[in-house]
Amino acid sequence: MAELILSRNFSVPDAHTLRVYREGGGYKGWDKAKGMEPAAITEEVKKSNLRGLGGAGFPTGVKWGFIPKGSTAPKYLVVNADEGEPGTFKDRYILERDPHALIEGMLIAARAIDSRLGFVYIRGEYVQPWRVFSAAVKEAYDAGLLGAGVPGGGFDIVVHRGAGAYICGEETGLISSLEGKKGWPKVKPPFPAVKGAFGHPTIVNNVETLACLPPIVTRGAEWFAGLGTKTQGGTRLYSVSGHVVKPGVVEAPVSVTLRSLIYDHCGGIRGGRPLKAVVPGGSSAAILTPDEIDIAMDVDGPKSKGSMIGSAGIVVMDDTVSIPDALMVVARFYAHESCGQCTPCRESTGWIYKMTHRIVEGKGRKEDLDTILDVAKRGAGTTICAFYDGAVGPYISYIEKFREEFEALIRSGAHA
Amino acid sequence: MADATAPQFSPEQLAEVRRLQGLYPDRQGALLPVLHMAQDAWGYISLEIEEYVATLFEMSPAHVHEVVTFYTMYFQKPKGRHVVAVCHNLTCHLMGAKGIVEHMKARLGVEPGETTADGRITFLTVECLCACEQAPMLQADDRYEGLLTPEKVDRILQGLA
Amino acid sequence: MPKLTVNGKEITVPDGTNLIEAAKAAGAEVPHYCYHPGLSIAGQCRLCMVDIDKVPRPQIACNTQAAEGMVVQTESERVKDTRRSMMEFHLINHPLDCPVCDQAGECWLQIYYMKHGLYDPRMTDEKVHKPKAVPLGPHVILDAERCILCSRCVRFCDEITGTGELGIFHRGDHSEIGLFPGTALENAYSGNVIDICPVGALTDRDFRFQVRVWYLDTAKSVCNGCARGCNIEIHTNKHRTHHNQGKRVARIKPRFHAEVNKWWICDAGRYGFRWIDDESRLAAPGVTVDGQSVETTWDDAVATFAGRMSRYRPEEIGVLASPQMSNEDLWALRRLLDSLGVMHRDFAVPPREPGEDDKLLIRADKNPNTRGAQLAGLGPAAGGLDAGGILDAAAAKKIKLLWVLHHDLTASGFAASRVSAALAGAETIVFQGTNANPTSARAALVLPSAAYAERDGTFTNFEGRVQRFRPAMAPLGEAQPDWVTFGLLAARLGKAGTDVALTAQRADEVFAALAAAVPAFSGMLYRTLGDTGQMVSA
Repeated sequence: MAELILSRNFSVPDAHTLRVYREGGGYKGWDKAKGMEPAAITEEVKKSNLRGLGGAGFPTGVKWGFIPKGSTAPKYLVVNADEGEPGTFKDRYILERDPHALIEGMLIAARAIDSRLGFVYIRGEYVQPWRVFSAAVKEAYDAGLLGAGVPGGGFDIVVHRGAGAYICGEETGLISSLEGKKGWPKVKPPFPAVKGAFGHPTIVNNVETLACLPPIVTRGAEWFAGLGTKTQGGTRLYSVSGHVVKPGVVEAPVSVTLRSLIYDHCGGIRGGRPLKAVVPGGSSAAILTPDEIDIAMDVDGPKSKGSMIGSAGIVVMDDTVSIPDALMVVARFYAHESCGQCTPCRESTGWIYKMTHRIVEGKGRKEDLDTILDVAKRGAGTTICAFYDGAVGPYISYIEKFREEFEALIRSGAHA
Repeated sequence: MADATAPQFSPEQLAEVRRLQGLYPDRQGALLPVLHMAQDAWGYISLEIEEYVATLFEMSPAHVHEVVTFYTMYFQKPKGRHVVAVCHNLTCHLMGAKGIVEHMKARLGVEPGETTADGRITFLTVECLCACEQAPMLQADDRYEGLLTPEKVDRILQGLA
Repeated sequence: MPKLTVNGKEITVPDGTNLIEAAKAAGAEVPHYCYHPGLSIAGQCRLCMVDIDKVPRPQIACNTQAAEGMVVQTESERVKDTRRSMMEFHLINHPLDCPVCDQAGECWLQIYYMKHGLYDPRMTDEKVHKPKAVPLGPHVILDAERCILCSRCVRFCDEITGTGELGIFHRGDHSEIGLFPGTALENAYSGNVIDICPVGALTDRDFRFQVRVWYLDTAKSVCNGCARGCNIEIHTNKHRTHHNQGKRVARIKPRFHAEVNKWWICDAGRYGFRWIDDESRLAAPGVTVDGQSVETTWDDAVATFAGRMSRYRPEEIGVLASPQMSNEDLWALRRLLDSLGVMHRDFAVPPREPGEDDKLLIRADKNPNTRGAQLAGLGPAAGGLDAGGILDAAAAKKIKLLWVLHHDLTASGFAASRVSAALAGAETIVFQGTNANPTSARAALVLPSAAYAERDGTFTNFEGRVQRFRPAMAPLGEAQPDWVTFGLLAARLGKAGTDVALTAQRADEVFAALAAAVPAFSGMLYRTLGDTGQMVSA
């Protein structure tokens, strides 16, 4: 069994408290980092091959480097705790069970990017996680770990609750919401590292990404890189749910295969039923068929099958699932969460949901499938943010890979 | 609950508003937290509260209204004493959310989006709450409740006064 | 100053130029909705996509700055296909209201979807329904279904007027433009959102259902509502006179001028044209016989006026000219009055309500040509009385002929008693103007003026910019430009001589005479004024 790094505290009683966190070696990474040059921290993170674990998978050290050199503007570290990708729940575990890991990671990142002010944007529905995390922040302040005394000019954390909008998980949508507006993603350029929150250079990092920083600093970039694959280092937290025997958060090196996650770590399919389909990276990732699960679950594995690792939210479907029905549910989600700012997404997410709903209700038409596919392909890559591309992933893959099932439903005029 | 049609924060609440505003480089950043405060104080966010909050931020009421109508957690009409939100997104759907929703409709006698006549429960269906390992699940006020069965739903509802 | 290539053509543009403007400089039109040069970049409509060499996907042109060596294609097959896709997205929920929508004929959805051949939509599900025909304020009415959510109107109210009335509520395809409930779109520039709305979502209440736009003619003109001199277009309906209750002027639209009004006009100016086709317009000369006004000919009216005038000594004549008059009118009047030796003349009649300058366009002075009247020297001549003095002298019967041009003295800032004393005291009152009013009712002789919309001429705005206005239609009835009337009068009195200002056949000749005589206008010709005008010399 591989060593637990990110989830080592999840089952330790009271690990959310400063005392227990410290007993387990907590804040040793920060102790080391506060004696390091900011550029050296960034170099370590680059060498570790740490990738963004919120969905985009961008190299974290490289992202930090986008802040203009020599900028004297205030720089903000914004934590994306707006976890909302269907099938994903790992950040919730960190917030509730290991909040100090996030605080320690923030301190390290803030030093690297020369930030004095960090915002933690927690989705509004995460009330318990917010309470636990806020209490941990208070503990940190009381212990002098946060505040004016932090080396490098001090560091403050502002905990900010969202109010219910998936699009606030998009980094510039999050920034807009943080600024007290609707969660409308921003037109880029300018990019957040140049002009982000409140007009200043901003780095937005995912909760889990930052939680990787203490181990990287304490045990070294080479060690972290060596745990993973050529292009991505470390372990990560896989959220596995659906028709598996043991759903839950599974930590594994990023070289783990999807097959292994389903059958070794999560006990295989309930009732021994056959696998029909699996979503590898949150609902925005293209669906995979049973012959496509022998892939490493790093940033490249699912990509090789036309999908993506995204938030590593794995939803397992057995043979009782109606794929058209599942697509209708997913299409309903994207229609509900479209922010409405730009035309292709606003107009077509609603229309495509209407069509999938009609199909499931037995009123599908022959031309519906090609219409959905064509509209989706025409909209992909044309929007302000990647939300629509996340909708296009399921629209196209569910229909192309299970077309016969859709056509049968349209022909028969009845739902499964 | 205080009168939502003639809203006025207490001096302590106002001090908290100013404190929150001071945390952000631009005070408008405190808008979402202050709207949460207002909803906690008055139970929902009326148009009068929107106008009042707009004055606290020197914003046009139209732009406060934009924020209130954009986010799902701000109620523009009075809600029940309790809010029970059932997830109907992908994994919960695969794990039987539809049946849970039907059961709740039968038990409460209202459709999703409505409040029971006695004002006890506002019943909602919502998108992913990110607790898929406990699917099917719901959020009752602040708590997540998962691995739902009709029996467990009944116990949860009974516990909501 | 980056040099780039657009559709194979090399151009150089200023730093910071976006690709929509760069394409325009190269002669290419990039279709767009949300972009407006006077507002911030929204990047929402996604229509302005262009191809840029070495960039894998088409990019929006509004948010891409021209860079040295960039190679841009605005008409590649991929760009055209992308535009077609964006147009289809725009039409998904758009209602098929064209037969009842005022925007038809000048609607950018119509224009672009027809260009892309999107006649048969494949969207056959129920469209999203939203409020229709919702008045937002005195001038603007909203149809939320037609709205394409380009946000131009929201940005206008935030960035230009700073009033923030409009917002986009909810999200997804239930997004809706609207006001905060209980408020109204009442700022002084509300009508501009009608211009910038690319579709029929925000339309003009005044113009609603009046006449189809393809029947309208247009003329370039200058607003006469205040001293700003906003550039405008006058749209007239001459072809379907059974529409619009037979009114000739259908509407006024702003005309872009970089230095005067940019893209905007205030509501007072936009809707300040009703007097032009009002019943009170004077269409023929009139003489008062036995207390009744009787229509007569110009010959007769001029003869009567000349006759009356020759009865008085110059110091018994008082003339109240108006800063509503054009430079040509004012100069011809000056020449006439100088030739007669009339020194009691003025143009400054105080308004009842003093106006206020605002921070945008509106000027306190509600006259278009105060500066012109000053430069034409129509203040009192040496030893002459000003406007108030003229009124008092008329009341004291020292001034016997009171010639009032355009003013309604009973609605002015002069005390009512002072005005009625003057009107009672003057032996002969002559009124010359466009519309009948309580002052003209007291006149023995009424001479009809052509409106600025019915003729050529120039106004000088408060900054000293001399701007041309052009006729949108023929003068009403027998009305004629004031300078023509002064020429006829001068001829009758034997004072015209060879004075170009008094013998001219065309307005530009009068203007040339003004330019030759008054140094401020030195060197100006109608041709040099063009469409943007010229500043007077210091």
